[in-house]
Amino acid sequence: MFAYILRRLGALVVILFGSSFLLYNLSAISTDPLGELRLSDAPNKDQLILNLTRELRLDLPPPLRYFIWLRGVLGIFAGRADFGLTREQEPVLEAIMGAIPTTIRLVAVATLVAIVLGIALGITSALRQYSRFDYGMTFFAFLLFSLPIFWVAVLLKQYLAIDFNDFLVSAKISPPWIIGFSIVAGFFWAAIISGSRRQVVLIFSGVFVANSIFLSAISATEWLSYPRLGPIAILVIGVGIAVGVTYLSVGLSDRNALKTTLLMALVGTISYFPAQPILSSDRPRLGILLLFIALLIVSVSGALLFARVDRGPIIRTSVITSVFIGIFILIDRMMQAWRPYVESDDVNYRPVATIGQSTIWLSEVSFWVRVLDFAMHLILPTLALTLISFAGYIRFSRGTLLDVLNQDYIRTARAKGLTERTVIMRHAFRNTMIPLTTIMVGDIAGIVGGAIITERVFAWQGMGTLFNKAINSFDLNLLMGVILFLSTLAILANLVADLLYSVLDPRIRVGAGK
Amino acid sequence: MKLTRIAKVAIATAAAAGLAVSTLSPANSATRSTVVLVTSNQLTGLNPSVTNMNLTFNSEVAYMQGFGFNYYDNSPKLVENKLFGSYKIVSQKPFKVQYTVNKGKVWSDGTPITGVDLLLSHVICSSSYSFTAKIGDPTDPEVAPAFNALCYGGIYDAAHVGLPTLSADKMSVTVEYDSKIPDWEIAGPGPSPVHTLVHLAEGKTKLQKAAANLAAKAKFEKAFYSYNTKLMKAAGEVWSNSYNINKVDNTTNKLLLVGNGAYKLKTAVPGQAVTLVLNKRHVSNPSGPKTNGVKTVVFRVVGDGTAAAQALRNQEVDIYQGQPTADSVKLLSEIPTAKVIGGAQAVYEHIDLRVGTANGVSEEYTGPFAGDSQKAKDLRTAFLLAFPRDEIVEKLIKPINKNVVRMDSLLLFPGEPGYDDMVKNNGISKYTKGTQSQREADALALVRKHSSSNVKIELLWGTPSNARRAAQAQIIKAALGRAGFDVNAPGNSAWPNFLDSSAYDAEFFAWVKSAITQEGNADLFNSEGGNNLLGYRNKTVDAAVEKLRKTLLPEKDKLAQYLIVEKQVLADAVTLPIFQHPGVTAVNKKLQNVKPNPLSPQLVWNYWEWKYSK
Repeated sequence: MFAYILRRLGALVVILFGSSFLLYNLSAISTDPLGELRLSDAPNKDQLILNLTRELRLDLPPPLRYFIWLRGVLGIFAGRADFGLTREQEPVLEAIMGAIPTTIRLVAVATLVAIVLGIALGITSALRQYSRFDYGMTFFAFLLFSLPIFWVAVLLKQYLAIDFNDFLVSAKISPPWIIGFSIVAGFFWAAIISGSRRQVVLIFSGVFVANSIFLSAISATEWLSYPRLGPIAILVIGVGIAVGVTYLSVGLSDRNALKTTLLMALVGTISYFPAQPILSSDRPRLGILLLFIALLIVSVSGALLFARVDRGPIIRTSVITSVFIGIFILIDRMMQAWRPYVESDDVNYRPVATIGQSTIWLSEVSFWVRVLDFAMHLILPTLALTLISFAGYIRFSRGTLLDVLNQDYIRTARAKGLTERTVIMRHAFRNTMIPLTTIMVGDIAGIVGGAIITERVFAWQGMGTLFNKAINSFDLNLLMGVILFLSTLAILANLVADLLYSVLDPRIRVGAGK
Repeated sequence: MKLTRIAKVAIATAAAAGLAVSTLSPANSATRSTVVLVTSNQLTGLNPSVTNMNLTFNSEVAYMQGFGFNYYDNSPKLVENKLFGSYKIVSQKPFKVQYTVNKGKVWSDGTPITGVDLLLSHVICSSSYSFTAKIGDPTDPEVAPAFNALCYGGIYDAAHVGLPTLSADKMSVTVEYDSKIPDWEIAGPGPSPVHTLVHLAEGKTKLQKAAANLAAKAKFEKAFYSYNTKLMKAAGEVWSNSYNINKVDNTTNKLLLVGNGAYKLKTAVPGQAVTLVLNKRHVSNPSGPKTNGVKTVVFRVVGDGTAAAQALRNQEVDIYQGQPTADSVKLLSEIPTAKVIGGAQAVYEHIDLRVGTANGVSEEYTGPFAGDSQKAKDLRTAFLLAFPRDEIVEKLIKPINKNVVRMDSLLLFPGEPGYDDMVKNNGISKYTKGTQSQREADALALVRKHSSSNVKIELLWGTPSNARRAAQAQIIKAALGRAGFDVNAPGNSAWPNFLDSSAYDAEFFAWVKSAITQEGNADLFNSEGGNNLLGYRNKTVDAAVEKLRKTLLPEKDKLAQYLIVEKQVLADAVTLPIFQHPGVTAVNKKLQNVKPNPLSPQLVWNYWEWKYSK
């Protein structure tokens, strides 16, 4: 194993050297940094050309310049790597280090949502194979596959930012919209749950009525202008989470688990009251930490109180429930910052942003307003990235799960008399995750460098923007820095995927068989 | 499962009912005080006078933080800033100009501005000062001088005599030039906070007390006149490097941010935004025009045109200078909350023909247009006669800005003083009379006089990805095809490198005017001119350019020399102007007084006039 990793790392060095040498020379030959100056009408043009030649060492042929660059980079072994300066005199390493957190913020949420939602829909789709829902999902997935991100971005900005901000001024939902939304919701749930014709009609009309009442209430109370959850909503949501998590995790038949999670919903709601002053203090990060520590302690001890056998799964279920409830308490606190945020001079009643990572010049600087500002800038790019990337997960998880469901061990599990929930969640789902894991690792590595267009249309400053800028401004040092970083990441991700595979699937062993 | 779903629906309904009903009504939005501009570039440094830092955007940000003796308005004309100081010619022979700072003006740290603050301009522009003080050789290609300044080799460097002298009260500086140079007004000094430079050179990291500031200023004055190599070298090191930062936050050395403009740099986040806030000292004691209620100015980096237009529609940005294309104009003019301001850029498109081998090119030009023979001249004339200037303007430019007209002068923009007279007399009428088809017929006759077959022409243009240029090439190819020319014009993305290449017979591109000088673009046709890419050499033109360059001429004489140049160049059939590039600026409807200037700093030149209506 160890020798295998060493061998792979050795290959990494060789590949990096070869590719960087090739790329350096190709880029150096294909660009002319002096081109713009030649066109200048400045009186001291010759001097300017001289200066730039001196600075970029244009008097040397590209292969020689490569080795000057390489010498700096190899300094990494002496503890001081020098990736050179960008054309704007900023150290390349600094530029890249500044861009990575941004890209991760952009990509992490989108990837997470895409994975969770994609797998959930994919599995539901597989379980309802050849149903209307399955066909609908297939259609939806292929539709998303074919959408270019820049176009999705333009549409999202128009409808979810510009029009939605206009709408927020009065925040009244008109009856046609309420009816429209409710019909869509009715179809969605009826298709998922399905059953006999009577049942479908019943579900559809139930969802339709409930949804209409819900939206009318939101409109009448101007909830969108003054969003708030409050303890009652948190209790209701908490009970829903408790039941849902328990069902998926251990099954509703485990009464002890259900009691524990329901207790957590209650505790979470009560903790809402002491959480308010703690979260609003001048050290909100500490407050969040305290809230979650408290919730964790209570959930673990609550689980121990109710669980007699099978403690592990019940503790897990209880912890997951309380974490979700905690998140909703935070969301509620963020909603309380809504009015000051929206009314500030810098936001000026346009909360959903179409460009940038944050309103840097925001005069209102309280923690929750800042967090809200980040969130409002994150919504559209995350949505766009999620939309185009989760189609793949839908298709892949559907296919894999169907494949797994036809395996002998599933039949065996069913024959043993296990409940359908246990067969799906314990036996089928876990094995579905094995091939999915390798895809996820590759995806994350690829997406860090691959968000060029997304970053551009949303004016984010991440790795993609750096790459784009490097190409457009003939910035060889910057270009090489980005390429080196991305290729290292890609090669390492491949290695990690191979290793993970062997960990997840005991039948596979890396480096063996020689 | 079914039960759970229904339960959830019930839960959701209950949640909606459980919400408190709010009776508050939306507050009225007050008049805004923030202006957000779109920039496609990011800040790379605070000192745009350093080599490589002279980017348009750096200059714009610097412009808002400092007031000097003058600025360009949108005519464009040089305007004297009387609030800061004044300048006058105190002696004709020798030619001397005195610059005086008004009493009581202060830097943003409270230090008074005096004539000493004008001396740094000499250090960064005078090669001889650099030599004498032993702080580097500005002409050395290998090693940068201590002050790695852009100014070396410019007008001031060539014409100044000796050191500038301080008046007794230290509020005035007198500069001597070797002759009455044209453009002396823009060659003169500007204020720089020299006390902060000394502090920085001494390693200080925060603002100093008033007494220390005065002492530092005196120290600089002494070092300046005694050619103090040590201090000047250290100051040069700071001046050339310390300001080259793209990040400004609370931890930034405040000494780097001292200015005398209406706004102070507050934060700069690389690639995202630059925020400027009002300079309180400017509000109480302005060194330039007073501002108009705008407290914060933000430059946001947005690279994508559609994204910027949508951000404008979403009112996240207030000013956006768009791409001058018909699509972009249409998109912007459909935004209900914004208005589109036309305007023009100091850029003009033109068609050039190669006459001979360009300076510094080894490969000789032997194409159909080479030399002064009657044949070459006739072919050139034919080419320019058939060149479809009207069609290009009508089809490609009018949709962007219907006020753009065909440009008929090589050295003056339409609307500039003297333009109409110039067009009447410069001989362009030869290329404008009759209709396009008549001119094409005349051209064909001229070509046939010398050649029975079509003449093959290599036309250079770039870049192929530029849709407007590609359309231009199509139109040109078709029209000249009717006049006996086979034009080969595939477009070249590396076109700037081939502008002086003998491989091409003709080329069309655009020249940019970056300042208004007496010489103007006449340098393009001077035999030794650095931008003479066509191999054109003519004694009459050279003599006129020499006159324009050497002495300050009254406006009338200047135009007379321009006329000499244009007449000769047009008679030799070397080049034709096509159109002045239109500008497109979209502005928040409530923001008033945004007046784009063709010259840099284009949008911000009059930031003090910006004002929000209720």
